[in-house]
Amino acid sequence: MSLAIIDAREWQRVFDLRTGAGVEEINPLLKMVMDIQARRPYPGDLDDAGNRWVTDTALDLIAGYDPSLVYLTYARQFFVGRYSVLTESEWAGMVSSVFEEVNRFVARSGFTPVIVGTGGMIPFVDFIDVTRLDGLVLSTHWSARYAGLHDGSRRDLQGLAALPEIERIVPRHEFRSLFGEYPGDDSRIPEYLLVARPGHMFRTVGGAFRKVRRVPAPAYAIPLAAESGVASSITDIRRLVVESLRERKIALIVVEGLGMDDFPWPHQRCENGRGWFYYEPGDAQYLTLTTGRHQVFEYPTGYKYFDEDAEKKEYPLSGYFTSVPADTIASGLGVRSVAVGNRSMLMHMAPGADISIECFARNLFNQGTMAVIHRMDKK
Amino acid sequence: MRCNFCEWRCELGNGSPGVCRMYVEEGGVIRERFPYRWSSCIPSRVESVPFYHAWPGSRCLVIGTAGCNFRCRYCSNSFVAKQDPAMVQDGMIELTPPQLIRKAKQLGCHSIVFNVNEPAVSLPSLLELAVEARAAGMPMGCLTNAYTTEESTELLGTVFSFFNIGLKGLSDAFNRDYIGIPSAEPVLRNIRRLAALGHVEVTTPVIESANDGELEEIARFLADVDPEIPWHVFRLLPEDEMKEARYPNIDAIAGALEKIRGYLPHVYFHNFVGSDWVNTLCPGCGATVIERFSLGCGGDRLRSFDCRGNECPSCGRKIRLHGEKVPWNAGEVLP
Ligand code: SF4
Repeated sequence: MSLAIIDAREWQRVFDLRTGAGVEEINPLLKMVMDIQARRPYPGDLDDAGNRWVTDTALDLIAGYDPSLVYLTYARQFFVGRYSVLTESEWAGMVSSVFEEVNRFVARSGFTPVIVGTGGMIPFVDFIDVTRLDGLVLSTHWSARYAGLHDGSRRDLQGLAALPEIERIVPRHEFRSLFGEYPGDDSRIPEYLLVARPGHMFRTVGGAFRKVRRVPAPAYAIPLAAESGVASSITDIRRLVVESLRERKIALIVVEGLGMDDFPWPHQRCENGRGWFYYEPGDAQYLTLTTGRHQVFEYPTGYKYFDEDAEKKEYPLSGYFTSVPADTIASGLGVRSVAVGNRSMLMHMAPGADISIECFARNLFNQGTMAVIHRMDKK
Repeated sequence: MRCNFCEWRCELGNGSPGVCRMYVEEGGVIRERFPYRWSSCIPSRVESVPFYHAWPGSRCLVIGTAGCNFRCRYCSNSFVAKQDPAMVQDGMIELTPPQLIRKAKQLGCHSIVFNVNEPAVSLPSLLELAVEARAAGMPMGCLTNAYTTEESTELLGTVFSFFNIGLKGLSDAFNRDYIGIPSAEPVLRNIRRLAALGHVEVTTPVIESANDGELEEIARFLADVDPEIPWHVFRLLPEDEMKEARYPNIDAIAGALEKIRGYLPHVYFHNFVGSDWVNTLCPGCGATVIERFSLGCGGDRLRSFDCRGNECPSCGRKIRLHGEKVPWNAGEVLP
C-alpha cells in the first residue's frame, strides 16, 4: 500500500494513496518524513524560496533515508516566468539562482548530477480563441501549443484551417501513427489535435484564468548535462541514469522552463519528441523521461479528464492520475530512491521513488506539502 | 445616476466607474461595461464550490466575471477580482448566454454556479443567462457576499436557486479593516431574505486574531435564521495583502466548533487537505449520511452518499438537501 502524508501546516494526516482512507499507524520511517515536512513548509510556487525548499528538503531526506537515486524538480522559474512581467535581467537573475540551487545541492549531497532542462520559454504573443466552435476544444492546464477538438463540425475544421496562428490540425489516427503502435485504448485521444504556432496559446473553456506572460518555446531538443555518459533522446536518459547508478549515487535533476540556450553547464542535445511533435513541460514529458518510452497517449492533451473524476475515482490526492504509472525509473530498482520537487503530483507519480515530497499546490494556491511512501522494505 | 445593485449605491456618470468598475451610466441607463465576458468557464464538482447540501455529486459549470464590490485583504482571486476589470479583458472568454449553455451541456454539466467574484457586479448578463438556463432545465447557484440592495437581492432570487453566502465577520471594525465595507448589516438582512427565497449555505473564512472570536455569535445568528443552514468555516490560507499572516490553528478552531454543533448541526471546517470535518452527520441519530474528501482549494469531493432520498437511512430523519443526488456522468438533468 502506498501512503500519502499531508502536511497543511501544523496539521498532518496519513492516507492510503489509492483509496484516500485514513491511516492511524505511524512507524519510524513515516515519523522521519513527517518531521521533515513539519520543518520544511512549502513557501509557494512564486515565492523566492520555492527552489531553496527543494534543495533543503532533499538534503534532509537524504540524511534520513540514505538513497542512491535522487530525482529532483526545480520549477519556480517556470511558474514565475509564465505569469510575471520580467525584464531580461530579472529573468537572467532567476535562471542563475536556480543554477546556484542545483550547485548547492550537488556540492552538499555529493551525488553525481544528470541535469535535464524541459525546454525554454518565449514571450506570449496571443490567444487563439476556440471557445465558440460548434465542437468542444479542451487543453491541459500548462499546455500552450496543443489542444484537443471533440465533436468538431465541418465548419469548425474549415475555420481552424484558415487561422494563420494554427500550425497544423492532426487527425487522431495520424497522431497515433506518429508514435507507432499504441496498445492502449484510444478513446481518450481527441478526434483532432490542434497545434499552435510558437508564442500562441489556445483559449479554451475549462482553462484557468491568469494573465500569461511566457509560454514554452519550441523545444525539439532539450539540454542534458551529464558527465557520466551520453543520451541522444529523452527516451534514452533513463538508461543512462540506471547504468551510472552501478558505480555511483545519481541525482536526476529536472530544471523546468530552461532550454538549450539557457544552460550554463556543458550539455548534450537530446531529442524531445518525434517529427513535428515536441513535449511541453508536463506529465507526458516526465513519464517519457522516467519510463524511457514515449508516453503521449496515457493522459493526452485535451482529453476529457473530468469524465473520469466520478466519486469512486481512485487516487483522490493525485489529480487526474487514475493509477500509479508502471515501470518508472525508480520503481523497479533494488537501491533506495527519493524524489523532491515543486511540481505537485508529478513527483510521486512520474519517478516512482520509494519516498517523495512535493508541494501540494493547485493553480498556484499553496496548500502545504504531500509526501508519498510507495515502499519501505528496502535495506 | 445611482447604481442600485449593491449597498454602495455608487453615483455613476461623468466618467465615474463606481466601486466595482463594472457599470457605467449611458443615456440615463446603468449598463454593464463587459457583458457576457467570463473569467472562468470550468467544469467542477459542486462540493468544490462548496455546496454540500445542493445536488450532491453533480458536475457544475463554474463561471465568474471580473471586479468586485469588496476589497478583502486576503482575497484569493485578487488577480481577477481586484484588478481594474478593463485590464483583464484580454484574458476573458466571450460567450452569449445561449453559447454558454451549449458549452455547459457539452461539458456534461448539470448546473451553472457563479463563483470567483461577486454576481452583483454582472447582474444583467446573469439575468439573461438565467432565462436560457431555465429553458434548458439547468439550475443556477452562486457564491455571493450578499452586499446587495433589497431590490437586487430579489433579482438574485430570480436568477439563482441555491446560494453560498460569504459572511466574513460581524463587527464594524473587522468589516472596515479587512473587507472595506462599513457594516455587515445588509449581509445579515440578505441572508434572512435569501434563505426564504432559496437554498442557502454560508461560508466564513477564519482569520486568526481578527474574526475567530466571533464564531459563536455568527453561529447563533445562523441558528436563529434556520438551524439547519449548512455553515462552512474556512481555514483561511492568507493571500494577497495578507500573504505573510499566520495560518489559523486547526485544533483550536475545531474545538470551538464542536460546541456549536449542539444547536447548528451542519457545521463544516475545511479548506485544507484531509480535513476531518467534511462529513454530514444526521442531526437526529448522529449517523454519517454523506461522506466527502477535502482537497483544500484543490476542491472537495463526494465519497459516498448514504441517504435514502433525503432521509437518514438509520433513523429516517429528513436531511437538509436541495435537489437530489446526481451521478457525476449524468450530464444535464432536468430538476
Ligand atoms: S454594483 Fe458596483 S457600481 Fe453598482 S453600487 Fe455596487 S459597487 Fe457601485
